[in-house]
Amino acid sequence: MSSATLPRTLGFIRAGQNEDGGWGYRPGGASWVEPSAFCAMALLAGGDRAAAGRGLALLKACQSASGGMGVSPKDQGGGWMAYAALLAYHAFGAEAEAARLIGWILGLEDASRRFAPADIQSIARTYRYDASIPGWPWTPGTTAWVEPTAMFILALTRAGVASTEPRIQAGLRLLIDRRVPSGGWNFGNPFSKAHELEATLLSTSLALAALSAAGTPATKPAVEAGLRFIEARLAGDVSTVSLAWTLIALLSIPAGDRLVPGVSARLAGLAGTDGGFRGNLFESALAFLALEDASRIIRVPGKGP
Amino acid sequence: MTRREAVGALGAAALATLPASAFPNGGSQLAPRPDARVPSRVGLVLCSDYGPETLREALRAGWKASRPPDVRGKRVVIKPNLADFSPDRPIHTDARLVEALVEHLKALEARTIVLAEGPPHNRDTELLFRRTGFEAVAKRQDIALIDLNYDDSRPVRNPNPRASILREFHVPETVLSAEVLISVPKMKTHRFAGVTLSLKNMFGILPGMIYGWPKNVLHWNGIPQSICDINGTVKTHFSIIDGVVGMEGYGPILGTARKAGVLVMGDSALAADATAARIMGVEPGLVEYMALAQRAGLGSLRGQDISVVGERVERVRTEFALDPEFAFMRPQRSR
Repeated sequence: MSSATLPRTLGFIRAGQNEDGGWGYRPGGASWVEPSAFCAMALLAGGDRAAAGRGLALLKACQSASGGMGVSPKDQGGGWMAYAALLAYHAFGAEAEAARLIGWILGLEDASRRFAPADIQSIARTYRYDASIPGWPWTPGTTAWVEPTAMFILALTRAGVASTEPRIQAGLRLLIDRRVPSGGWNFGNPFSKAHELEATLLSTSLALAALSAAGTPATKPAVEAGLRFIEARLAGDVSTVSLAWTLIALLSIPAGDRLVPGVSARLAGLAGTDGGFRGNLFESALAFLALEDASRIIRVPGKGP
Repeated sequence: MTRREAVGALGAAALATLPASAFPNGGSQLAPRPDARVPSRVGLVLCSDYGPETLREALRAGWKASRPPDVRGKRVVIKPNLADFSPDRPIHTDARLVEALVEHLKALEARTIVLAEGPPHNRDTELLFRRTGFEAVAKRQDIALIDLNYDDSRPVRNPNPRASILREFHVPETVLSAEVLISVPKMKTHRFAGVTLSLKNMFGILPGMIYGWPKNVLHWNGIPQSICDINGTVKTHFSIIDGVVGMEGYGPILGTARKAGVLVMGDSALAADATAARIMGVEPGLVEYMALAQRAGLGSLRGQDISVVGERVERVRTEFALDPEFAFMRPQRSR
């Protein structure tokens, strides 16, 4: 990111902060946990501790007595955006809140135990995955999918949970099990009857980042095939959010090094004249962190712990 | 394994975690019960291709033949179907139809036109909007293009007294602010629902950030029940079903193109769907969600209660190949 763009992106994020301290996906929108966590991390990385701290306070107010984290200040339940809050807690060193959230995330159940053996066989026939492997769902009690599983693995490992933790190990098995045979990942159905379903750059980048964060060797066939898929897909049209997650994944995988400069330049080039990315606060913060301080999200070799 | 369990693999404890706060049931976009004494009217018009002139004429004729909403001075939200994108398969509502509709609405002096969709399982909406041509349409026509998956939303009570376990829906502000909501689905078969038309298209209004990708909460609740309850909660003022080229077989993503050469238009989503189903060679009463919708008071799917204006159904009937699991949906005489 150019030295001129960087402060503009931070300015765009700062200007989009709501009175409650949080951020919406769009300027002026209601505060949600995911954009609030990423914007707070971006401002923290940019040195604006006061505005970042107001964002952290909102996140803490969103945490319920059970330790869970909903999607917004009004949601006293829990859901997928908890991954973002955990990343932010870690970045701010909010250890007590992080510990409670980790406990809640590790206890967050998907639907894997709701399936009878016959259901599991039927799913295996139609979609060719093992529905008995637990991962993480978008909302409690529903089916586990690739992206929330990858996001929770990323956040847990970044917050210091050992990758030997049984839930993380199960999540890694799920990711390997759900990969598309020809390379990469989609939302989580590698097949539908006889049809192989297409992988996507966003799902693949998230899955690769999670595998890498949990120490999966880059020589593992699924990782190699995923990297090949990313390289091929980068030749075509890509979105801002996909490109940002791709950069984060590549930064954590030594085998992805050679692709980093090109992806960085391409992502940086998507910044608008106001420094924002597509006018979207979450995407702006994600892009900023990917370009400037990805170590808030994932361990980057050579960039400290 | 039941169908509900099977599609869940694709979830109802989650519902207990959704915030239950205000229920702002009020406003034109929320669903009143249709007057059963007034027969539904459906405009059925030929549309052989996606050429701009063909589309313009078909929309004009279909608008005239049906009972369209008054859009003058109104905020109109168009909800197409963008289940996914493939360069080889007609998965999504054709962007050329959407653009012709935008121009039609402008000519009718709609105040604001918004194009909005929340794709079901691929979170990369930016790319989907671009690849399907919706982004270009929005730019050319200078209208807003909204990803409903990340739109701010409010809980709205499900008014169906016999509702499923879903007691409320989080409805995006973009939809709640619509004075006229137009559903523009693709005419397709569906591997779980049998067929997907205007009623099923409304799955796409619910935000993924609340319901997940795919909107798995709805799957665990039961697809027919969810379709019925969403449509009982949010009013679609008008439906335009893209049957120019539809999808048969293993839809809604992996089927094959099937040209029906029609647009089906009407103010009752259930009547439009029932008519489209008949065109596809499907008995609407055998489509579980349509039968449920009728029982829930969302209108009638009986042929005698629907006045079809324009072409005759028999003349344009184009039997769509059905997944073997849905062979039971054929009218008895054609089985």
